[in-house]
Amino acid sequence: MNINNSNFKTMKINYLNFNFMKTTRLFASAFLGLALLASCSDDDDGGQPNEEEVITNVTLEFVNINDANDTVTIESIDPDGDDGPTVPTQNVSGPFTAGATYTATVDLFNSIENEDITEEVTVDEPDEHFFIYAINGLDMTFSRSANDVVRPDGNNLGFRTTWVANTASTGSITLQLFHESESVDDTNEFGTQTGGSTDVNIIFTGVSIQ
Amino acid sequence: MTRLIIGLIMAYSCYGYSQDCSYTFLGELNDFHDGSPIESATIFIKELDKYLISDFDGKFKIESLCSGTLTLTISHVGCETKTVSYDVDGDTFKKILIEHHVEELDEVSVSTNASRKETKTAQETVIKSNTLRRYSSLSLGDALKEVSGVSSINTGNTIVKPMINGLHSSRLLILNNNVRLQDQEWGIEHAPNIDINSASQISVIKGSGALAYGGDAIGGVIVIKPNRIIRRDTLYGRTIIGGQTNGRGYNLTSSLYKNYKSGWFASIQGTLKQNGDFETPDYNLNNTGVKSHSFSVRAGKRQFESGFEVYYSFIDNEIGILSASHIGNVNDLITAINSPRPSIIRNFDYDITNPRQKVKHHLLKTNYYKRFKNFGKVSLQYDYQNNNRLEFDIRRGELNERAALDLTLQTHTLLADVNLDSNLDRKINFGILTRYQENDAPNTGVRRLIPNYQKYDFGTYVTSEWQLSDNVLLDAGIRYDFNRVDAKKYYRRTRWEERGYDVDFADFVIPGDFGSDVFTNPVFNYHNISAATGIRYNINETSYLLANYNLASRPPNPAELFSDGLHHSAARIELGDLRFNPEIANRLSVTYSYQNSKFHGVFETFYNVVNDYMYLRPSGVQQSNRGAFPVWQYEQTNATLFGLDVSSQYNITQNFSWLNKTSFIKGYDTTEDSPLIDIPAFSTLNGITYTNNDWYNFSVSLKSEWVFEQNEFPDFDFETVNPTTGETVLLDVSTPPPAYNLFHFYSEATFSFNETTDLNVALGVNNILNTSYRNYLNRLRFFADDLGRNITIQLQLNF
Repeated sequence: MNINNSNFKTMKINYLNFNFMKTTRLFASAFLGLALLASCSDDDDGGQPNEEEVITNVTLEFVNINDANDTVTIESIDPDGDDGPTVPTQNVSGPFTAGATYTATVDLFNSIENEDITEEVTVDEPDEHFFIYAINGLDMTFSRSANDVVRPDGNNLGFRTTWVANTASTGSITLQLFHESESVDDTNEFGTQTGGSTDVNIIFTGVSIQ
Repeated sequence: MTRLIIGLIMAYSCYGYSQDCSYTFLGELNDFHDGSPIESATIFIKELDKYLISDFDGKFKIESLCSGTLTLTISHVGCETKTVSYDVDGDTFKKILIEHHVEELDEVSVSTNASRKETKTAQETVIKSNTLRRYSSLSLGDALKEVSGVSSINTGNTIVKPMINGLHSSRLLILNNNVRLQDQEWGIEHAPNIDINSASQISVIKGSGALAYGGDAIGGVIVIKPNRIIRRDTLYGRTIIGGQTNGRGYNLTSSLYKNYKSGWFASIQGTLKQNGDFETPDYNLNNTGVKSHSFSVRAGKRQFESGFEVYYSFIDNEIGILSASHIGNVNDLITAINSPRPSIIRNFDYDITNPRQKVKHHLLKTNYYKRFKNFGKVSLQYDYQNNNRLEFDIRRGELNERAALDLTLQTHTLLADVNLDSNLDRKINFGILTRYQENDAPNTGVRRLIPNYQKYDFGTYVTSEWQLSDNVLLDAGIRYDFNRVDAKKYYRRTRWEERGYDVDFADFVIPGDFGSDVFTNPVFNYHNISAATGIRYNINETSYLLANYNLASRPPNPAELFSDGLHHSAARIELGDLRFNPEIANRLSVTYSYQNSKFHGVFETFYNVVNDYMYLRPSGVQQSNRGAFPVWQYEQTNATLFGLDVSSQYNITQNFSWLNKTSFIKGYDTTEDSPLIDIPAFSTLNGITYTNNDWYNFSVSLKSEWVFEQNEFPDFDFETVNPTTGETVLLDVSTPPPAYNLFHFYSEATFSFNETTDLNVALGVNNILNTSYRNYLNRLRFFADDLGRNITIQLQLNF
């Protein structure tokens, strides 16, 4: 019996050789290859994070319009930013003088990146921002100054403000900064907005007028 | 063709010589996979134009043969037809191997519509191709809700994460064409990167019974399969065009398949989808548009004895996130919760602005398998995945153009699997897996939520299946996994110390001066054991019982370990925990199925005890210059989940049928003795369908989807100060929205042009009554209602 046929030969290669051991060896070397590939990869840590958006220092600087030496500074400092566990510390430099009128400006600073953010908000993007104020417990009269930055929509930004300290009292001043509001309105001077997200929201407590 | 010519020439040349026609050919037919004889096979002798039948021992005899070529075509019920030819030059004996169990061995398909389960004893439901086509314009998460007990956890209505029996994200394992999806599945707003149109069949397996796929599927496994390969010379395809009123969206998908009788195959598929802002019954949902395009190609050779495949798929999604959900601090959240309408409502447009996501996913797979006679099948697979996720937030100035979150996850996997199926009554399957994963997070100007890390996985498993008797099948398996995570992370010094890591993990610190940061190299090794065993008992012709026990073990994912920072879109600080242990689940399930000509019902119950269950919970408020942020901390507790899923259909008449899908689930934190968060409420879906096959396969159905109010939820409310009034207010983030009942309409007909070409036309109306509602499992429920009425039309051309 002498049979040879090309069709049969191919079948023979397919399943007559039981080369399982060979296959196993192939797998083993492939796995080893992968392990080597893995161990060769770079050890990149992505770099130390830079935090360009954080506002660590928020300051309201008040100056008596009749006495440049009568200043009040209230500030909130959060050295580890929005998501750090440290609670912001507040400093109120002293009491307001009853009967005096003050002008105030806002200062925003990122101490982590050593970056001034005030200009970004008040010069570059006043159209996207809006300051809102609130006074609780204090006998004060508040208005947006005539020389305040005017937004393209005609509303005053709330960067430069005027405060009249009336009678002796103690309470708090709230400062909020909103970003990308749907609408803003300064008709009641303190300001209202809808649809924006908060960039700054601080309630300065222990403020007094003497 | 050449072979035929040669054959003809040879046959012709034979006649030219004097013939010696006294030879005998003895043949023996054996089964390829186990060597058993094949009786009653038909053998067609081409040269003699004669038929023979093999005897009890698989043998046959051809006498009085002349020398020359002998061509035999062997066919047998359940076997692939095989043609062999020999040169006869004397008495000849040949053993011929044919495979009798092609279908049972899941190798080659005879028809495209065949559906096959992945498991034998697990709670598995298969969603077939014709059902999936209805979801062409939607997402994987939407389609999976076809299965009773499967819900979804959403961010809006385009980010849909599947949820099986109350569990989601890392607790579900998604396999796309046998590749485990590695696409940063840990986040609730990270939807699976799958184009539903690339799937031809989806299996949903509740629990972790399918050990070959992984040992950490505490919730379940979703197996997505492309078209089965048919060994026929054929070219076919499908094109679907759809449009919808809500979101003014369109979708276009097309696929083409080419198969050869030799086993070669190739296919290509692509999808385009877009929609603009969706709308609720009362207002537009600004910035909820989606743009998606995807394609996949596949080619290879598939034969019974060996085969290979190369597959590549790509998906690119750009998803807008509801503008009103972008909030700066907890006060914005108060404003949103207290307002019945979202704070930003604008006119419809297709534009997608910040906040938005851009996600690209590449998947490349190649595999090879070979069968050995009397042994089984050996498969080898390599796959590579690249997942790039960009999340854009509303940021100041130029930063607005820059993603706040930028993560690239690359994964290489090598898989070897051996399936010993020479004895169909006692199959054994074992395998080995190695995986390398690398996450790359460049600097984006905000702190990384997930750090750079490298992950190494190794897994090995053995599963076995015994057919104990005609009515009883038993399966069991065990798996071991090793995971190593090697991360590089900058912690803020204040956070590192506040968490007490400076005491517990001082050895992770990399020495050096990093200012206010601590640079660390956390390395964790996890050893996990998982196991599964199940039994199937066929009670009688109409009913069967399944019982299953699974042990699953899931190590903490990178988010659970390393999360550390402000999640802007959620306005909360999320904190992981380096101290976490793997989560261990013990799940017991029982299924009863009954089917007769009129009624089909499946009743699935489960009891799942999860120790060291990881979840996010509010743990207080943290102050900053931006105001207060709620802190959501990952915590571990012991949880128990149990429930019942019912799926039934009753054919009232030949034309009318009624269907019901009901699912009841409870989840409790047994350590704190309180309900678990985000557990789906009781829901029941009832539908009535009229079908008339004589009238272009016409069908029309009306469904009611009734979702109850979740009355068991943990109280995670917290207090905060309203900056304008100075008053303390309670923020209710816990109370679920009220119950709702939605009605849906669906109708379709199929027009056949010829044997292979038909057109399916479908019209659907979702939320017919335009009901306003909010869904407890939608993260944007604090900000806006869910979708109003949506009319969809779809044309499907099969050719």
